[in-house]
Amino acid sequence: MLTAERAATRLEIKANAEEIRTASNWLAALGIQNELPDDAKHRLDVCLNESLANVMAHGGPSALTNPVVLHFRYRRDDSHGVAVLTVSDAGRAFDPAHPAAPSRPHTLTEAEPGGLGLIMMQRSADHILYHRMGNRNVATFSVRWTT
Amino acid sequence: MNIDYEDLSDELRCVTLSGRMDIAGSDSIATKFAALTAGSNRRVIVDLTAVSFLASIGIRSLISNAKALQQRGGKLVLLVNGGDAVAKTLETTGVDSLIPMFIDIALAKSAATS
Repeated sequence: MLTAERAATRLEIKANAEEIRTASNWLAALGIQNELPDDAKHRLDVCLNESLANVMAHGGPSALTNPVVLHFRYRRDDSHGVAVLTVSDAGRAFDPAHPAAPSRPHTLTEAEPGGLGLIMMQRSADHILYHRMGNRNVATFSVRWTT
Repeated sequence: MNIDYEDLSDELRCVTLSGRMDIAGSDSIATKFAALTAGSNRRVIVDLTAVSFLASIGIRSLISNAKALQQRGGKLVLLVNGGDAVAKTLETTGVDSLIPMFIDIALAKSAATS
């Protein structure tokens, strides 16, 4: 039985370090407001930070000059809760659910930068959906927990 | 984000990070972090127990400094709170198998100087 559903909440930011921090604070406030478990809050924060970092680093000029739009939704019933974060940007096409994240290096010497963000997103979200809408990426990260 | 340090001996330094190690946080400490881990044969404990969030850019900074130190004959180890979000992030990404990670300062000191 559905016991609580909140209206979607929206935020627009620019893809830069300062506004990524603003977005994290926005998400943290929503997490507290909706009484999300700490683990769920952290996993969403990881998805948010890594997807925005990816937009900044690899999205290209259109990603940096056009707004990134964030949506947060949350629902809970008697047995579980789910929080959904959608990140929409105007950068180059990129699906965070694919390709498969690179394999982990075995030694410090062979460790290379890159790919960590993808690993972190894919292991933090319970489900990632992606589609391209016109010239925008739309990635949706879902985090679930039992109540 | 803040960074501080304490020299525990001539060769062993403890670098303490606190706050969010996201893009903004990592950028703010990058230069000082590299400077504090510089020098040949330096042994460093990086204390992450006061870090509230660790993003991939923060992990890259840890790896980068650990590699540079290793190439100069030194060693870097991590001190974390067992089971917290930072420790889990390091385990999820496999960094704990690249850089020794400890929840006990005495073990961290022993490993750093071995």
